[in-house]
Amino acid sequence: MTTELSKISARILLLPVLMIAMGLMVKGYADTGDGFSAGVIASLGIGMQLIIFGHGEMERLPLIRFAPYGVFAGLFIALLTAFVPSMRGENLFTHWPPAGEAAPHFGMLELITAVVFDIGVFLVVFGFGVGVLGAIARGESRMMQAEEREARGSRVRTGNDEAGTPT
Amino acid sequence: MTWLTDPNPALTVLIVAMLAPVLTVAVGSWKPELARIVAVGTGALAFGTALWATASDEATFSRMWIETWDVRFALSFDGLAAMYTLLATGIGLFVAVYASGYMPLHREHTRRPPIDDTRFFGYLLLFMASMVGLVMAQDLILIFVFWDMTAVASFFLIGFDREEEDARESAQMALLVTVISAFGLLVGALLLWREYRTFSLPLIFEDMEPSSTVTWAVALILFAALAKSAQFPFHFWLPRAMVAPTPVSAYLHSAAMVAAGVFLIGRMYPLVALDERLGNFLVAIGAASMIVGGLIALTRDAFKQVLAYSTVSQYGYVVVMFGLGGSDGVMGATFYVIAHALAKSALFMMAGAVTESTGTLTLSETGGVARKMPLLAAGSLLAAAGMMALPMTIGFFKDELFFTAASAQGRAMQLFSVLGASLAFAYIGRLWTGIFLGEVRQEHRQVPIMLTWPVVVLGGLTLLGGLWVEPFRQIASDAASASIRHDVELHLAYHLDTRAENMMAVSVYAAGLTLLLTERWWRMGLSSIVSIGSKLGPARIYLMTLRGAVRLSDSLHGFEVRDLRSRIASILGPAGVLVGLAVLFTPTEGSFVVGPIERSDIPLITMVTAAAISGLVVTLPRDHLRLALTLSCVAYSLAVVYAFLGSPDVALVAVLIETIFAVVFIGMLVLMPRSTLRFETQVRPARWRIGRDAIIASVAGGMAFLVAWSALSRPSASTTVIARQIELTPLAHGKDIVTVILADFRGFDTMGEITVLAIAFLGILSLIRAGRLR
Repeated sequence: MTTELSKISARILLLPVLMIAMGLMVKGYADTGDGFSAGVIASLGIGMQLIIFGHGEMERLPLIRFAPYGVFAGLFIALLTAFVPSMRGENLFTHWPPAGEAAPHFGMLELITAVVFDIGVFLVVFGFGVGVLGAIARGESRMMQAEEREARGSRVRTGNDEAGTPT
Repeated sequence: MTWLTDPNPALTVLIVAMLAPVLTVAVGSWKPELARIVAVGTGALAFGTALWATASDEATFSRMWIETWDVRFALSFDGLAAMYTLLATGIGLFVAVYASGYMPLHREHTRRPPIDDTRFFGYLLLFMASMVGLVMAQDLILIFVFWDMTAVASFFLIGFDREEEDARESAQMALLVTVISAFGLLVGALLLWREYRTFSLPLIFEDMEPSSTVTWAVALILFAALAKSAQFPFHFWLPRAMVAPTPVSAYLHSAAMVAAGVFLIGRMYPLVALDERLGNFLVAIGAASMIVGGLIALTRDAFKQVLAYSTVSQYGYVVVMFGLGGSDGVMGATFYVIAHALAKSALFMMAGAVTESTGTLTLSETGGVARKMPLLAAGSLLAAAGMMALPMTIGFFKDELFFTAASAQGRAMQLFSVLGASLAFAYIGRLWTGIFLGEVRQEHRQVPIMLTWPVVVLGGLTLLGGLWVEPFRQIASDAASASIRHDVELHLAYHLDTRAENMMAVSVYAAGLTLLLTERWWRMGLSSIVSIGSKLGPARIYLMTLRGAVRLSDSLHGFEVRDLRSRIASILGPAGVLVGLAVLFTPTEGSFVVGPIERSDIPLITMVTAAAISGLVVTLPRDHLRLALTLSCVAYSLAVVYAFLGSPDVALVAVLIETIFAVVFIGMLVLMPRSTLRFETQVRPARWRIGRDAIIASVAGGMAFLVAWSALSRPSASTTVIARQIELTPLAHGKDIVTVILADFRGFDTMGEITVLAIAFLGILSLIRAGRLR
């Protein structure tokens, strides 16, 4: 049963969960975690919202609607990082900058193409998780609607039976 | 720019030939009625290019293709390539002209849309292009690629009338026979590679020496060639392939598909000549095909069946001549292919034209066509005369060469060659006289001139070859020289004396004529022998094998998809048995070691024990929710094990995976109908099923345990790799080895995994959307 408490905690927890996911991905090259775990954590965060609020309410968020396309966007990004080097005559998955050269910094963040690949992985996993959980939630809400309709329908029918049909 | 200013003939011919199907399909998809015009135009262009390339100097083209295995994209427009390219494009051009008259009528009969013209000409020209590539290829792998391209194109051509089951089955048969046998070519090529470390034929020919490996390799390649040339006992696919529209038969069974087989023998001839047994093998197979094909051809009633078996028989001649070998044999075989292609394609087209005009398919329904279609009769008479080796046609020389090669082998071979040639005389004579002479028994309608003229021109060429043999002689000499790899010269002339060849030819005419005139006496007897043979023959073995394979595959598939239990059993059971066999045959010394247990290991052991206990507990609950949660317990305990082992990345991933898995699992349970879930918790499986499942599970689990144990007992092999990766990680700008491995060192693996994830995603979505869970 969904209570006010669970609704409030779900809403409060969403942003921290997404932030942890971002953190895991960005720090992936330096510390525990990578695009994969980040994707799972982020989609679990969304999954929690789906469980608490139901599909009908969540569907209005663009993030939910467009997340499944992330699977293909991520695949595309990952393929790009894999194949762009081959256009320059290098082996597949030759990352930039090459070994031994200093990577440009943005604050503490090192900008390297391996992280771009990891972002692709993140998008695939995130899209997968949100897409599958969303599909389940949608199926569930449809099922509930159907059950409600059936319950109402049977009530109407019983009413009729009592009213007139001779037995 | 270099190619534009100084074009390489070999490359140019291939490019022009490859452009033909592309252009035809491109224009034909836009306007189907233009497809045939473009097809004839591009076919003519390809033939013109082939003529130009034949006139220019011998050209080669070579680029490295797969460096690791020394596979080259190597082409050479040598004499052999020139001859077969001229045949493939020249006959191809005639067939395209013929088909542009034939296909509209065929589409009318079968009620097909005009776009089918595009398909037809596309495949026809694709076949031509693959054939052109095949005959120029100088690298065994390249030969294999073009070889299979011809098989694929022929599949679509033979099965062109795809609505008819017969056409589909025949196309499948042709494909299976020629593609399965093509593995012989591939395996032979690999054997040769093992011996000479190259796939390049010129290099192999330079280094070749007789050895048993080479003999086996060549035997396998010959197997592919003989199946493609429809030689006994693989002859059965060819008559079945006659369900194809007539232009296809005219092309595939005169100058292209079956010719590819004997071409390959010609190409590999230096290797064939290394071992005498291979030659004897060819003689035996060729002789059997000559006799079997010839006898069956004499009994067939349908025009195209007579022609089909005659092709089997006449390629038998070619194979025999290659087997007899020497410059006489090779020259004879090469020349025979030219003479046969001209006359046979004309006869096939004649059969199609007669059927289009009269609607009849068999000799017994047809007669006296000469009175209604005199031009066709004259053209095909020339072609038939060529087949029957009458003087003043190119066919006379083909038999003369055959007799020369046979005479060198002594009296028995001489006699045999006369017998074979008499059969050819008889079945072709029977076909022509049966169609064109006698009483008119059928209606006639007007047919387009495109159905008649190619026959007349090809018949004319057959006659021209008998009167002015020089150009054909030149082409055949060059081709034979390329086969033998030294210059040989063919000498062809009429001699009015009593040399052996002339006497043999005369006896062939006499014997053939006798056979023709006495048909009524031998017809019944021969037919019954042939029908017994066809009931017990190799076609039956093929069909039985095919049916058995289909039944086996169906029953395995049926078991696998019956329910979830049988699906898991069909994966785990065989996997367990295979792993068990591997364990049995691997030396086990030092594999199954129980290491010392220290105090610091106690937390680890505790968690492993917890995981094991929860693993056992999974077998107990019957309702789904509890089952899902117990499964999670197993995985969480394992995650803790990873954490204790000091790999936080793996532990994190394990926890996350398990969480999302549990959520999805429970979500799926919600989607399932309650009644199904309730039913499954209440029903008790039979005792024997529990026992069977326990056995499968124990075998699979036990074997996995053994493998894990033996792998963990000797971890030394992988430590160097790990050390190297740890060392390289800072160079890859990383501090976390696991992430660096995933994104950099083994990036390709990760790419594959996320691709699988994306595909699985599509599958899951379609399952849930289609409401399959309900």
